[in-house]
Amino acid sequence: MNRRDFFKIVATTGATAAAAGCQQATEQILPLVVPNEQLVPGVAALFATVCRECPAGCGVLARNREGRVVKLEGNPDHPVSQGALCARGHAALQGLYHPDRFASPQRREGDVLKPVGWDDALKTFAEKLGGVKGKGKALAVVTQLESGSLGSLLDRWTQALGGRPRVTLEPFGYEAIRAANRATFGRDAVPYHAFEDAEVVLSFGADFLETWMSNVRHARGFARMHTFRDGKAGRFIHVEPRQSLTASNADEWVRNAPGTETAVALAILKLLVEQGGADRRFADAVAAVDPKKVAEDSGVPLETLEQVARTFAGAKPGLAVGGGVAVTGSHATQLQIAVNLLNAAAGNLGKTVRFGPDHAYGKVTPYAEVARLVQAMAAGEIEVLVLGNSVNPAFTLPGGLKVADAIRKVPFVISFATLPDETTALAHLVLPDTHWLESWGDYSPQEGIVGLLQPTMKPIRDARPMGDVLLAVGRTALGTEEGKGPLPWSTVEQYLKTTWDSVVKAGQWNAALSQGGTWREVAAAGVTARVERVDPAAAKLAGGDGFALLAYPSFRFYDGRSASRSWLQEMPDTMTQAVWDAWVEINTESAGKLGIRQGDVVRVASPHGAIEVPAYLSPTIHPGAVAIPIGHRYAPYHVRLKYVQPTADVTNPMALLPAAADATSGAPAFLSVKVTLARTGARRPLAVLQATHDQDERELVQHVDLATARQEALAGGRHEERHPTMYSEHEYKGYRWGMTVDTDACIGCQACAVACQAENNVPVVGKAEAAYGRQVHWLRVERWADGEPGHPHNTFLPMFCQHCEVAPCEPVCPVFAAYHTDEGLNGQVYNRCVGTRYCGNNCPYHVRRFNWWNYQFPEPLDVQLNPDVTVRQLGIMEKCTMCIQRIVAGKDHAHRDEKRAVRDGDIVTACQQTCPTQAITFGNLKDETSQVAKLSHAPRAYHVLDEIGTRPSVTYLKKVVREASGPAPRAGRPQA
Amino acid sequence: MRKAGVGAAAVVLLAVLLFFAVSSWSRQPAIARPSVQPINFPHSVHVQTYKIDCQYCHADARRSEYAGIPSVERCMGCHKIVAADRPEIKKLAEYAGKQTPVPWTRVYKLPEFTYFPHKAHIRAEIRCQTCHGAVETMTTIAAAPGPTLANDLLNLVGFKPSAPVLTMGWCVECHRQQNATRKTQAPLDCVTCHH
Repeated sequence: MNRRDFFKIVATTGATAAAAGCQQATEQILPLVVPNEQLVPGVAALFATVCRECPAGCGVLARNREGRVVKLEGNPDHPVSQGALCARGHAALQGLYHPDRFASPQRREGDVLKPVGWDDALKTFAEKLGGVKGKGKALAVVTQLESGSLGSLLDRWTQALGGRPRVTLEPFGYEAIRAANRATFGRDAVPYHAFEDAEVVLSFGADFLETWMSNVRHARGFARMHTFRDGKAGRFIHVEPRQSLTASNADEWVRNAPGTETAVALAILKLLVEQGGADRRFADAVAAVDPKKVAEDSGVPLETLEQVARTFAGAKPGLAVGGGVAVTGSHATQLQIAVNLLNAAAGNLGKTVRFGPDHAYGKVTPYAEVARLVQAMAAGEIEVLVLGNSVNPAFTLPGGLKVADAIRKVPFVISFATLPDETTALAHLVLPDTHWLESWGDYSPQEGIVGLLQPTMKPIRDARPMGDVLLAVGRTALGTEEGKGPLPWSTVEQYLKTTWDSVVKAGQWNAALSQGGTWREVAAAGVTARVERVDPAAAKLAGGDGFALLAYPSFRFYDGRSASRSWLQEMPDTMTQAVWDAWVEINTESAGKLGIRQGDVVRVASPHGAIEVPAYLSPTIHPGAVAIPIGHRYAPYHVRLKYVQPTADVTNPMALLPAAADATSGAPAFLSVKVTLARTGARRPLAVLQATHDQDERELVQHVDLATARQEALAGGRHEERHPTMYSEHEYKGYRWGMTVDTDACIGCQACAVACQAENNVPVVGKAEAAYGRQVHWLRVERWADGEPGHPHNTFLPMFCQHCEVAPCEPVCPVFAAYHTDEGLNGQVYNRCVGTRYCGNNCPYHVRRFNWWNYQFPEPLDVQLNPDVTVRQLGIMEKCTMCIQRIVAGKDHAHRDEKRAVRDGDIVTACQQTCPTQAITFGNLKDETSQVAKLSHAPRAYHVLDEIGTRPSVTYLKKVVREASGPAPRAGRPQA
Repeated sequence: MRKAGVGAAAVVLLAVLLFFAVSSWSRQPAIARPSVQPINFPHSVHVQTYKIDCQYCHADARRSEYAGIPSVERCMGCHKIVAADRPEIKKLAEYAGKQTPVPWTRVYKLPEFTYFPHKAHIRAEIRCQTCHGAVETMTTIAAAPGPTLANDLLNLVGFKPSAPVLTMGWCVECHRQQNATRKTQAPLDCVTCHH
C-alpha cells in the first residue's frame, strides 16, 4: 500500500464513521391499544399488597411505573408495618426480577431439568395425581405458612384428593413458646408482645429487631418505648452469649454461657420475689434456685442479676421475651415457662403480653409432624410430593434429618417455585409459580388483621399461580368440571373473592383492596398463670469437647429464602460489616489458642456433618461458643458478570444439626451440638466494609447520659454553632434542605441502605470489588464500639453525603460537576463529571462513590430501575442526592397542584420512608416550624467531624446512655 | 511537494470530518429527526383544518412527565367514521383490528441523563410550539429545520436554524428569559434536570 492509498482509506473510513456518528439508533414509541384507566405513563400508581418474604405479613405499597413495579414501601395504613419495611422486604423486587427465574415448566430427564410446555407438564401432573387418588396417604403437600384463603383452598384440595394433612413448613416456628403457653396458660398460641407499651424490655436471646416473629413491627414498638423523647426513655436488657444486632441495641447486654438462660431467668425471678417485687406464690416455683450458683455457672455476676431484677420490677409495665437461637435447645420450653412466670410475677399479662390478638405462628405444623413426613418419604410411603413456593426443606431442615435423601425416595416430586434452589434440584417437575407481587391472595399474620394481596403487575415470566394450577389439575384427576364437585372454583382469585364476600360488606371490596386489607382491635383475653416449678437445667449439647454452636437466622436472608437477592448479599451484616460470604464467628481468644486468623477457612465439624467457612474473629462472643448465620447461600444470579463470580460453597450450618427435637416442645433444636474447629490451611478473606469499629477519639458518634439529656430537654436549650469560613456565605432564597438522624433510635437494621439502593439505581459490585472498598452504596450504616472491647457499647451511624455548606468536594472539581445548589444540596452533575475522583479524595466523610465499571443489571433486573434516576456509567462519581427526584416531585406537587409552599410530609426520602424506628427526618431547615429544623437545634444535636468546619446539612442526635448497672460480666464455664 | 499537499489536504479533511462528528455527537441532546412513520400522519390537518387541541391526543402532557402518544383506541374514536376509506386510515384500522400498537418512530428524544417533565411546562403555560416548533404547519413531524448537516453548516457561518434546537443552552436561555419577563420561577439548578 502506498501513502496515497493509505490516506484514501483513512479519509473514507473517517467519513463513514462521522456519518454514522450523526445517526442515533431508531427508537420506537408504542402507544397502548386500549388505555389503562389506573396507569398514566410517567406517573406512579401504588398498589397495596402484603409482603410474603417472611411470615410477619407486613403491608406494602408497590410503586408501579409504566406497568412494572420499581419500588416497594411500607403501607402506612397497615397495622403490622405501619409504613416501614425491612431490607428483606425491599429486596423482594430482586426476587420478582431475578435473572434465574423459571421461564417455563421444567421436567426431569436424567439428571437435568428440561423445559416443557404447560399442557404437557399439567398432563403429567394430573396423571400422577390420578394414580395416587385412591391410595390413602400417598400424597403430601408442603407449603410455607399460608394463613389465608390459599391455605384453606389447599386444605380442601388435599382433602378432595385424599392426601395427608397439609404441612406448613416454617423453620422458625416458635413451638417452645406455644408449649410453654400450654403449660402456663392452657393456650396453644403465640401472643402479641406490645413492646410499645413496655417501660423495660428483658429479652432472653430473642432477636426481635432481626427476624423474631415480626421484626418491623417490633422495631416500631421498640423505638416507641426506648427512644429518648420528651425526657422519657425506656430500658432494654438482653441476655445472650453473643452480641447480636439486637443485643447491641440493649442498654445492658448480659453475656451468659450458652444454654444457661433458664437458670438466669429463674434467678432473676427469685431475686424479684426476694426484693419484694412480686407475689410470694412465685417463691415456690423458684425455691430450688440458688442465684449465686447461677451466677457462677452462667458467668453473669450476681450484682448484675440483682440490678436486672430491680429494674424489671420497677417497670410499669415491663415485658420479658425469650427466643432466638440460644433458646432452642433442650431447655427451650422451660425457659419460656420461666419467661411466662416473670411476666406474670411483674404483672405484665394483658398489658404487654396479650393473648387474643395471637400470631399466625400458632398455626405452623409442629416440627415433629414434619419429621414424621420426612420419615414417611424415606420409607417410600409417599408417592407424590407437592412443594409450595418459598419452601426449601433440603436447605432449611437439620442435616441430621437427611431430607434430601428422603425426597429422592419419592417417585414424583412437584415443586411450585419461582427460582431454582436445593429442593427444586430434586424435583421431577417444576412449575413456575407467580411471585407474590403478581398474585391474588390474603394473609392474616395475627388475629384481627387480614391483609389482601393483589397483582401489582403482569407476570414477568410464563408463570401461573399455584392455586390455579392445583384447581385445574385437581379437577382433571377427580374427573369433575368447573362449577361442580369439591373444587368448583376456576381460579384462586375467584375463591378469594367468594370467601371475602362474607368478610366485607357488599361494595366494600374495593375499599378493602386499596387499603390493603381489613383490621380490627382484638381485646386481650384474661389469662391466669399456673405457677409450677421449672427445671433450671442448662441445654444439653451433643458432642464432647468443643464449642457450643449458635446457628442463628440471618437478618439478611432469614432461613435462606432471601439469599437470591444481590442487594442483600452486598448489604453488610451490621455487626461484622461483612458482605457476600458466610463466616463462623469465633472469640478472639479461643481463635488465638487454635491459631486461627480472620479469613482462615475453618472446618466446623459436629457429629452430624461438617462445613468449611472463613473465620470472623470477635472479641464479644462467649469463648465457649461459635456462631454461624443460617441462610447464606450463593443465589443472587448465575449470570456471569465481569465483576461478580458465582461461587458454590456450602455454608449452611443446618448441615451440622441433628434430626432430634427439643423433647418438651418438639421444636427443632438449633442449640444442640458442640462443634470442633480445625484450620484447613486455605484462606478466604472476608469482604468487610468497615476497617475499624474504634472511633479513636474522633467522636463520630457522641453520647449523652440520660440525666443530662433530660435536664437539657426540659431546659429547652437551642443548639447553634457555626464555624467561620473563608468562602462567601451562601444565601438560600427559597428552601434549604436538611436531615437529622437520631442515633438513639437507629437500630442498625440496614433497611435504609437497601431502600436507597432500590430508589437510586445503586448497582451491586460483587465480593471481590467490595473487598477493594469499591461498593457503591450511597448510604452505609457504620457500627462504632466504645468501652471495653469484649463488652462494647455499640452505636450505629447511618452515614451518607452530609451536603456540607462549606463542602470540600466542590472547590476541587475541575469541571464544576460538584457544586452547591440554591437549596443547600451538594449537586453532582453526572454528565459533567469526568472522573478525576478529586472530590472523593477530598471528602472527609468518605461518602462519594466511583463507578469503576459499567455496572450491569442482568435482564430482567434492569426493569426495576427507577425511571426518574439516571443510571450512571463507568468513570462517574456519585453519592446521596437526598433523593433529588423526590424533592423535584414534591415541589411540583405542592407548587403546581396545591399552589402552596412545601411543608413537612410532602417530600419523604427513601431512607426516611422505610425507617422502622423513624430515626431519619428530612425537611426545610429555613422553616422554623418544620420537624427537621426543630431537631437540628435540639440539645442533643451535633455534626460529625464538626471541628473541620464543613457545616453539614445533616445533623445527628446524640445517643442517650442509660445508667450503667454492675460491672461487665466475666466469662463463665460453658455448659456441658 | 505535490505529495505533501495531498497529505495536508487529507489531514484537513480528517479534521473537518472529526469536527462534524464531534459537533453532532455533542448535540445529540437535540435529536428531533424527521422520520418515515408507519402511518403518514399530518399534524397540519388535525390542528389547522379540524382545530383539535394538542392535549386532546397528547393527554398526559398536563399530568405526567411524558406528553403521551394517543392510544389506538383514541385514534379510532374518530376514525371509525371519519375518513375511514383513506388508505392511511385503513392502515390504522388494521392495527386496531389486530389489537397491536402503532409502531411510531420516536422523533424527540432527550438524553437519558436529562429529566424533562411536560407537566411543569404545561402548568407554566408554555406553548407546545415553543419547543416543538410550528407543528400545526407540519405534514411530517419535525420536518421543519432541525439539527441536520445543512443546518450545522448554516449555524457555523452564523445563520441560526429556525427550529428550536433543544440543547441545554437553549433551555436555560428560555428559563432565564421567562424568569425575567414573566416573573416565573423556572429552575436554573443543574440537578433539577440532571439527577
